[in-house]
Amino acid sequence: MSDRRIGVYICHCGGNISDYVAVERVREAVEHEEGVVVAKTTMFACSDASQEEMIEDIREQKLDGMVVASCSPTLHLLTFRGVAERAGLNPYRYVQVNLREQCSWAHTDLPQEATEKAVHLVKAGIAKARLSQSLEKIRIETVPRALVVGAGVAGLRAALALSDLGISVFVAEKSERVGGWLGEFGDTYPHGRSGSGLVDELLKDLEQRENVQIYTEAELVSKSGSVGDFTVELRVKGEPITLNVGSIIVATGFTPYQPEEGEYGYGEDGVVTLPEFVRLLEQCDGQLTYQGRPVKQVAYIYCVGSRDQSGERGHPYCSRYCCNAAVHASSLAHELSPEIHQFHLYRDMRTYGKFELLYMNARKQGALFVRFNEEALPEVSRNDGRLHVKVKDMLTAGEELDIEADLVVLVTGMEPRPNETLNDALKLPVGLDGFFKEIHPKLRPVETVIDGVFIAGAAQAPRNSAESAASALAAAAKTAALLKKGYVELEPLVAMVDAEACAWCGECLEACPYSAVSQASRDGKEIAEINTAVCKGCGACVPVCPRDALQVKGYEDQQVRAMIEALGSAR
Amino acid sequence: MIKVDAAFIERVTSDPEFNATACMNCGVCTAVCPMEIELLPRKLFRYAMLGLKDKVLEHTESVYQCLLCKMCEANCGADVHIADNVRCLRGYISKEIFGL
Repeated sequence: MSDRRIGVYICHCGGNISDYVAVERVREAVEHEEGVVVAKTTMFACSDASQEEMIEDIREQKLDGMVVASCSPTLHLLTFRGVAERAGLNPYRYVQVNLREQCSWAHTDLPQEATEKAVHLVKAGIAKARLSQSLEKIRIETVPRALVVGAGVAGLRAALALSDLGISVFVAEKSERVGGWLGEFGDTYPHGRSGSGLVDELLKDLEQRENVQIYTEAELVSKSGSVGDFTVELRVKGEPITLNVGSIIVATGFTPYQPEEGEYGYGEDGVVTLPEFVRLLEQCDGQLTYQGRPVKQVAYIYCVGSRDQSGERGHPYCSRYCCNAAVHASSLAHELSPEIHQFHLYRDMRTYGKFELLYMNARKQGALFVRFNEEALPEVSRNDGRLHVKVKDMLTAGEELDIEADLVVLVTGMEPRPNETLNDALKLPVGLDGFFKEIHPKLRPVETVIDGVFIAGAAQAPRNSAESAASALAAAAKTAALLKKGYVELEPLVAMVDAEACAWCGECLEACPYSAVSQASRDGKEIAEINTAVCKGCGACVPVCPRDALQVKGYEDQQVRAMIEALGSAR
Repeated sequence: MIKVDAAFIERVTSDPEFNATACMNCGVCTAVCPMEIELLPRKLFRYAMLGLKDKVLEHTESVYQCLLCKMCEANCGADVHIADNVRCLRGYISKEIFGL
């Protein structure tokens, strides 16, 4: 007989469960289970009154285990762990059984069978609770310093924000100069301020701060430790430097798409990419000229290297910034030489939000927009010494046009910047598009699966400078939320090694997706060691161990076995 | 294949009255036209703006059919002065083609 004292609460969920599962019958079926001293049904287990009742029961009945059979743990696991904690019961002695999503909602047409299934699910929960143990959260003291990788607009803005929040910042920039792409630009939209001016402003502010240290020609070569307490090794101008930081923000930016030789005539005299054209505009004084010749007609071809579903001419994604940048460049060109004719050959104008004004401005200045179809891409050729762009204009129902041009501008998109050393060191997940991947684009947009490592700017996805700065601020806020508290608490549901059984074969090291396993010597014996701060308790190491030396706390073999037995037991 | 004629574009669009570049091709003008002139005005302006001179001249009759009632202009979402633009084209055709 078990000497455990378990309380079981079965929730109606206001009918969500009780309309299909006879909750009273479930209660009757489990109230005499081994170790159960309290078995109740409740209309809403999550209600205040119900929570108070549970707290009273835990205290009066001296419960040492609790089961709530209600909804998904995603919704209320933390609620009921909180109930246990408030009543003085270790929260890891609480077990949630999901009767709503996994039973009543799934079997609305079979109430009899649903009730039987509910009985088994609750019995399995009780079996787990009988073997539950008290666990303590893993507490890690955090280091109030952060490393920012990349000194473009995102990196610098993040550094400034962190400095403001009283967190010391190291910035590592791979190249010789800081400022990234924005630092090279003149006029930027929509405010008309110069990119280099904006970067200078940021740098001037950063220079006055004692808690910011910027390294140029610096590369991150390795990272160890865990959230709140990383040790990173940089190579700065060839010299190794070791830093101890609490978090890392990766803002390594993008690289512009480089068309292949011959792609829309690229390589021909007079065919340039958008970044090349923008540079040309900045160099021109008084009149738009290309290699000494005045430019009268400009043809832009959009979506070069972007939105190619076939995968033959670049990337399947939209690079987001290029429509805006191209219409802005068109306005700059018009201001330089108002007499020029500009033809924009586009697939879809994606001048989203307020950038619609840039588009309108370009149209009012006389730029012509010709829509082409993905099926019939424009062709660039050279006849009689002049560049010709042939295109089927969808807005005149497929009229084929032949546009002479002095300059053809290929509106190129963004590519992820290759960062092999960094990728090897950080092991950040990368999406199908090659950019760093966040946990959730809307709900957790700057966090990665590696706790304490955040992403910002165009390293994550194509975006403009303002959007990069905004994401940098989000990453800085997340970093501050992590480090300002002084410590982090992590789930104790992690893998543990049975030092006696382990004979170090390395299978678990191979299986671990989080690099939480390492080899260690203990009493003259080589065994596996788990970094509990890095382990996510996924359990990938457990089945691969040939000696059954690994277990995940809270999901030990005997617990899982007991649950299976309860599920399979006779009615 | 029609050649885009920059000189024609310049000739037509140089008239300060001509503001069809703001047209966003929505088609409201065509829908409300009491003369049911299918071509007018969005396609015509597009031909003019793209410098497709032959296409414009092909539709000379449509250009003169317009009543200049401004129904289209009252409904235009992009504030294009449609009637004035038609006058510009009539001016061009009268002068350059008919030699008036």
